[in-house]
Amino acid sequence: MARFPVIRLGRLLIATVLEELRDSDAVDLREELSEALEKTGALGVLLDLSAVEMVDSFLGRLLGDVALCAQLLGAHTVVVGLRPAVAITLVELGLQLKGVHTALNPEKGSALLRSLIARDGHAKRPNGR
Amino acid sequence: MTESGSDGRTVNAERQSALIDEQRRTISELETPVIQVWDGILALPIIGSLDTMRTQQMNENLLQAIVDTGSEIVILDITGVPLVDTAVAKHLLETVSAARLLGAEVLIVGMTKHIALTLVHLGLDLSGVTTRTTMAKGLQLAFGRLGLEVVRTRERQQVVDSPLSLDD
Repeated sequence: MARFPVIRLGRLLIATVLEELRDSDAVDLREELSEALEKTGALGVLLDLSAVEMVDSFLGRLLGDVALCAQLLGAHTVVVGLRPAVAITLVELGLQLKGVHTALNPEKGSALLRSLIARDGHAKRPNGR
Repeated sequence: MTESGSDGRTVNAERQSALIDEQRRTISELETPVIQVWDGILALPIIGSLDTMRTQQMNENLLQAIVDTGSEIVILDITGVPLVDTAVAKHLLETVSAARLLGAEVLIVGMTKHIALTLVHLGLDLSGVTTRTTMAKGLQLAFGRLGLEVVRTRERQQVVDSPLSLDD
């Protein structure tokens, strides 16, 4: 089973995939993220996929599912760290991750998430919680 | 299996096709430079027609450049593309989508009336893509997206009198 620690940081959840995702792992990831979102009421999910070197149509669709679930649970999803080869593969498969926001690295991703959350009208809290 | 012609001729043909392949590679590398025009802004002037192979090469170069420079905006200049048909538009959209997956926004500049009419006529949906007519307008938009502003600091014809800016 692949490891993907889900860390809570203020109003954000940070999920890092540490190794290649097999189909069953990807399903676990979806379940686990949904559960964490429900439990914490986080407003954003940062999904770091920089360790992923191979994607197929299943994984591509699953990323869309994760974003959709998150949206239903009131959170934005930003996928960060996609490798160029992975991006090309996804596009060639016709999966453009329409509902998913993307950023180059975690730093830019969290900035994007914060601005998305701010746009929703959630007032900034001074201590970030 | 039949031997066609002499061995010499076969070798010659092979050599020629290898040469053509090599030249094609060289041309495609020359044709798609990725230029960093500003911190966070890449420009990609495309000269000539876009085929599948060239688009792939271009995408690889571009995506690597986005990762290397951490750029957020890519300006795709199609001024030098003679013809935009369904295939070319599809290739452009591929580039836009791939760059987006790395968190970069792609602006297409060099749109002409002719290209716009063709695209509309072909019924192609470019609604997700920001387009402008000239590189200057694209650059201005890019600056806007990054929160930058270009300001004139002195009158135009004035010769520079700052000691720093002469030799640098």
